[in-house]
Amino acid sequence: MEDIQSYEATYFTTCLVAAVALPLISFFLSFAISEKYSWIVSFSAPFLLLLSTVAAGFVFYAVWNHEPVNIQWHWFTCAGYTFTAGVLLNNIAALMLLLVTFISFIVHSYSTAYMAGDPDFRQYFAMLGFFTFSMLGIVVVDNLLLIFIFWELVGFSSYMLIGHWREKPEAAEAAKRAFLINRAGDIGFLIGLMILWANTGSFNLTDIDSLSGYSSWMTAASLCVFCGVMGKSAQFPLFSWLPDAMEGPTPVSALIHAATMVAAGIFLLARVYSLFTPPALDVVIIIGTLTALAGALSALVQFDLKKILAYSTISQLGLMVVAIGAGAPQAAMLHLFTHAFFKACLFLGAGSVIHSLHQAQHQSNTALDVQDIRNLGGLQKKLPFTFIIFLLSGAALAGVPLFTGFLSKDAILNSLMAWKGSDLSWRWLIFASAFLVSFITVLYTFRLIWSVFKGEEKVTASLSIEEPPVAMRVPMAILAATSCWLFVSWNPFDFSGWIYNGLTSVKHFHFTFIALVSAAWIVVALIVAYRIRERSFKSAVLLNGFYLDRVYRWLIESPAFQLALFTNKVDKKWIDGVLHTSAYLQLIAAHVTGWFDRVLVDGAVDGAAGLTKGIGSFARSFQSGKIQLYIFWAVFTIIIFIIWTLL
Amino acid sequence: MFPTEHFLYLGALLFSSGLIVVIVKKNMIMVLLGIELMLNASNLNLVAFNQLHPGSVAGQMFALFVIIVAVCEAAVGLAIIIQVYRYYQTSVPDEVSELNG
Repeated sequence: MEDIQSYEATYFTTCLVAAVALPLISFFLSFAISEKYSWIVSFSAPFLLLLSTVAAGFVFYAVWNHEPVNIQWHWFTCAGYTFTAGVLLNNIAALMLLLVTFISFIVHSYSTAYMAGDPDFRQYFAMLGFFTFSMLGIVVVDNLLLIFIFWELVGFSSYMLIGHWREKPEAAEAAKRAFLINRAGDIGFLIGLMILWANTGSFNLTDIDSLSGYSSWMTAASLCVFCGVMGKSAQFPLFSWLPDAMEGPTPVSALIHAATMVAAGIFLLARVYSLFTPPALDVVIIIGTLTALAGALSALVQFDLKKILAYSTISQLGLMVVAIGAGAPQAAMLHLFTHAFFKACLFLGAGSVIHSLHQAQHQSNTALDVQDIRNLGGLQKKLPFTFIIFLLSGAALAGVPLFTGFLSKDAILNSLMAWKGSDLSWRWLIFASAFLVSFITVLYTFRLIWSVFKGEEKVTASLSIEEPPVAMRVPMAILAATSCWLFVSWNPFDFSGWIYNGLTSVKHFHFTFIALVSAAWIVVALIVAYRIRERSFKSAVLLNGFYLDRVYRWLIESPAFQLALFTNKVDKKWIDGVLHTSAYLQLIAAHVTGWFDRVLVDGAVDGAAGLTKGIGSFARSFQSGKIQLYIFWAVFTIIIFIIWTLL
Repeated sequence: MFPTEHFLYLGALLFSSGLIVVIVKKNMIMVLLGIELMLNASNLNLVAFNQLHPGSVAGQMFALFVIIVAVCEAAVGLAIIIQVYRYYQTSVPDEVSELNG
């Protein structure tokens, strides 16, 4: 019996290590293979990720609905404190582990075709592997300090990937912005860690889970940690990097939006949920609502194919944060899970449109912005497969019944319903905005699909467009298939399937009428969307993401610039002045001592020497060597002597 | 009988002349001559002072010795002068100035 257990333990550990380390091995391998054999990478990288996914599947099977696994070992001792490092696998972590490896595998496979011929092919796959590894690190570790390390690694790899086409100035700028805005949030995260350490002396997630009672430091710490989440999960007001990040390759966007980057924030919130006090949760839910509304409204007016998707991600992330704030991390994780699939699928679909149009453009030597939906239209005939993909995943995004999105959104609405209580308060506003957001979601999803695939063909009419290669179609098909409600629960109108029940032990509130109301609501939204399909909304504020960039500039950049000017002035006037004055004083002192040295010290020495010399030469003058002079002096002296004695 | 002072004046005059000759002359032989003058002045003094002690000839005797010594001295001095002349090819005392400090 014991043997079997230890066998299972080693088996489990091997699978876990394989799941986490294989992407890292892919990273090293991609760099190790020489330029000449770079085609090997396009096989090795997806293969390693497939192995990693399989290993993650085993881990998931071993952990799901079992006791959480917590393996710890001694990390280091500092100033008497012992730091442990370890892994903590509960249901949430196991689900994320599987999700991240799977989406990453899909994206890897898709990228082999999408990125074929890219000069930095190897670096691209290396960074994909590293990105996945960093995210897996966040998922499995049991320690906020380690999470922070991997968190930063995720930020770094996203920087590398968004700026993959670094010769494009916009891409370089976007990568820089994503990195800097994330740093801004991470400052908060770091401060939160310090507060946590100062009060508990531990970073372990299990210790955080066992915290009881609410104290003000917990509010402060949780809000600081939430700052980091705001950066990473693109919450208001730190979301402007996400639309800019569309400058990166499209599969990277799929990865960022589905599994590795923005999901990290939501995952972290769910992971340290017990740190959040009611006031902190109120802040979280308000920020989430603002984000959801801002993202949805902005998505409605964008013209860039990928930016619509980016803003929709922001909006959906806002909804997830709302769910966390409403005290239902399981609903947030459910939405994260479903969203990961359909959003990755939508991005891969968008990538497929862009890829096909690029290929067609290459053949016909025309130039147009293929991401601008004003140039697109009527592509259904030429790209039927991509159209179906878009339709399925778009339906999931819009929350059409029978799709996963409907169920996860329903879970969030249910949690809000339970949270708002029966008395009328500001909480009803949040509840109403969630409905409003799901309404707008339908509008912009419909607008996106309609303007790309329906209507008249515009500039693309003359191009001969072909469907993308099989290596891109198969991953899309797999992801599109996961939009089916069966993946979440058996009942298409009840979200509490295997995932939801696995994520929470609390008896959930299920309001059936919410499901019915939201289904009707979606249908109304679809009708409205069809009615206004030809109308285009114009709003410069929404198009530019609420001018948040300008706000940043106004709030941060120009004060910083002013401060820099001021400090420059202070530096020049005061510090340099003081320095110059002191230098001048030193110079004067040096001159004085120099003069003293030269005139007095040297003078004394020279004077002594000169005196001796003078006496010497005076004495010498008698010794002229002339005998008669000697005689004269002798006589003279005698006479003087005689006179002296006689007188 | 002349008073003693007259002899003393003459002796002082002679001594001074000899001394001046010794100091200023450009020839060693002349310097030697100057020395002779000074010796003779002292002889004159010896003899003159003897006048104060009648019946004694110690002064004259002393003068005689001085004359003899002066002869010897002149002989040695001339020999030195000749040697110096041989060595330096000059008899001007100023030019023999190796003792110059």
